[in-house]
Amino acid sequence: MATAYNLTNLKNLLVQKEVKQWMKQDYITREQFHTIEREYPCSFYHPNMFIRILLFAATLLGSFGAIGLLILAMDTGSDDSIAGACVFGGVVSIVLLEIMISQGKHYKSGVTEALLYFGVGIIIGGLIVLANPTTAVTSYVFFFLFLFAAIRYIDLIATLGTVLSFAFIVFNSLYEMGGFAQQIIPFVMMIVFGLVYFITRRARQNDSAQPWCDALLIIESTSLLIVYCGGNYFVVRELSIEMMELALEEGQDIPFAWIFYALTVIIPMIYLYFGIVQKNIVLIRVSLIVIAFAVFTFKYYFSLGHPEITLTIAGVILVSISLALLNYLKIVRHGFTRENHLPEKWAGMNIEAVVISQTLGGNQINVQDAPVKGGDFGGGGSSDSF
Amino acid sequence: MDMIKKLPQELLDKVLLSKDQFERIDPLFSGKLVSVFYDLRVILYLGVLLLTSGLGILVYQNIGDIGHLLSIIFLIALTTVCYWFVMTRAVPYSNNIVKHPIPYYDYIVLLASLLLITVLGYAQFQYEILDDAMGITTLITAAIFFYTAYRFDHLGVLSLGITAFASFWSISISPMKWYSGDFIEASNLHVTGIFFSIGMASIAMFLDRKNIKQHFTFSILNINALIFFVSTLTGLFSEEWSIIYYLLVVGGCAFSYYVARYKRSFLFLLYAFLAAYVATTYLIFDVLRLDDIIFWFFYSVFSCGGFVYFIVKFKNHFKR
Repeated sequence: MATAYNLTNLKNLLVQKEVKQWMKQDYITREQFHTIEREYPCSFYHPNMFIRILLFAATLLGSFGAIGLLILAMDTGSDDSIAGACVFGGVVSIVLLEIMISQGKHYKSGVTEALLYFGVGIIIGGLIVLANPTTAVTSYVFFFLFLFAAIRYIDLIATLGTVLSFAFIVFNSLYEMGGFAQQIIPFVMMIVFGLVYFITRRARQNDSAQPWCDALLIIESTSLLIVYCGGNYFVVRELSIEMMELALEEGQDIPFAWIFYALTVIIPMIYLYFGIVQKNIVLIRVSLIVIAFAVFTFKYYFSLGHPEITLTIAGVILVSISLALLNYLKIVRHGFTRENHLPEKWAGMNIEAVVISQTLGGNQINVQDAPVKGGDFGGGGSSDSF
Repeated sequence: MDMIKKLPQELLDKVLLSKDQFERIDPLFSGKLVSVFYDLRVILYLGVLLLTSGLGILVYQNIGDIGHLLSIIFLIALTTVCYWFVMTRAVPYSNNIVKHPIPYYDYIVLLASLLLITVLGYAQFQYEILDDAMGITTLITAAIFFYTAYRFDHLGVLSLGITAFASFWSISISPMKWYSGDFIEASNLHVTGIFFSIGMASIAMFLDRKNIKQHFTFSILNINALIFFVSTLTGLFSEEWSIIYYLLVVGGCAFSYYVARYKRSFLFLLYAFLAAYVATTYLIFDVLRLDDIIFWFFYSVFSCGGFVYFIVKFKNHFKR
């Protein structure tokens, strides 16, 4: 299946976005940028982020109004007729989306996303009410609708949905088999998503897969995370207790606990090692996330009960590591540099300031919340951040 | 189809890039050279966040024993080291953006000012220096943050300063507080909010006109636009003077629209449209008192459809 978008336009849009970053970074001049822009014209309607948000919200609200009118017009009030109206409305919404793309040259304009999510959403909802399918069938419906949306409209959220529904399908089929199949779920998940990871990585090199390169990147990183979750002690233990009614007595542990303890530690190391060796930034970033998760896993089961000491020490370690690396990378080493080569995507908005005021904003409130003498300790402000 | 994998080469062949430029861009584009700029900054930031949060709790614990003493010594030592680092390596003040040669300097400034606040808070708690004037401490906090922000050109500390200053007027600017409904705790807080945000915005515009730290204007206006719209909308929903609040919202939208054009930021356009839509819809509801669902369905279809049409029709107007 091909994408609904014109490939030349798609390519030229990618070129324009890339070259714009070079301009912002002062690698090329403004005149050069405009020349290149003329050389690679793009007729898409692809507004900036905030206009997209506005259009998205307006289209979604309008769509809800329209489906409301449709349901009222049918005027029967039975569940089936409402569900039927939803499926019909969803199909209309997808048809409208196609018209917007082919006639209006919309490309991820906010209108397109809204119509897509709205359409897919109410089709799924309607079908579930109409057919009342089993969990397995529902997950297949989710999977194929997401897959369709991901491929045809190059939608990243739908891509994420595809990966997650696929993971659910694998999990659920083994789970419903019961017995031995349930025992091997972690290993099957790791093998399957390991394969997905390598296939995706290979596919990303392929020229014909280039329009989907962002989507493939999402599959890649999500697969890595799922592989880790498959081996993580916390995930395996809690899911075993929750889903498979595994009853653990005091002092007992899950089957093959040592394997999962080991995997919890080893997988992040493997990710980080290959990330650095292969200069693969996806692997490095995922490894940082799963290292944090590994630390959390061990703290969860072997806590000394002093979260504030853990916080302080973790903070000291993180600050020291990053300062050491920043100093180490003063010059380019092994192809890594500390210099910024990409302009901030949200330039002008200054996301950093917002993040700081929202996460650390509680700190000065410490002053006010400081405990009254003789009372319990407070510091409530800062705990807000978690 | 060959997409943009070989873009620098392609542009070089078309003589759209010079050889020099190609040699600079190609290693980055092909991944031969990888920048970990943002990754290291995120780790550093998380470290600062964890460290200050941990210390902020630690100093209030185990009052009286040796661990407590140690944590206080550690806190004060760390604060001193940070301030020493910040002071000795400071670059001269400038009204413009100051790009410090040390890439992590910003974070040490942030760490230093957060630690100083923790020390102050602790001293206040332990020795009851300003016992009956809690508000003064907040005001001093804000003043320190503002001074640090302007002296060392730090946007993050600036936003902390605004947060602290707002909390002096008992306005809390944290989304966590907003959805727990704490924003409007006192009954007339939205009036305070309106005056506060208008005052701050005026100061911001004044400084902007004087060419003092123009890159700060955006952040100050951003926070105050949020305070203003939340306050006026709260007023609109809860009071009898709805027409006055409505006019205030409209005025705010006009100003937001002006800022959007002036600072070339579509975020303010977003605020303006959202606030105007919510306020207008509420006013129509309030005046007509229609509870006919069909009307509201039609209303949403036509208002939103019209809005989308308007934006797309005048798309050239809404371009950077």
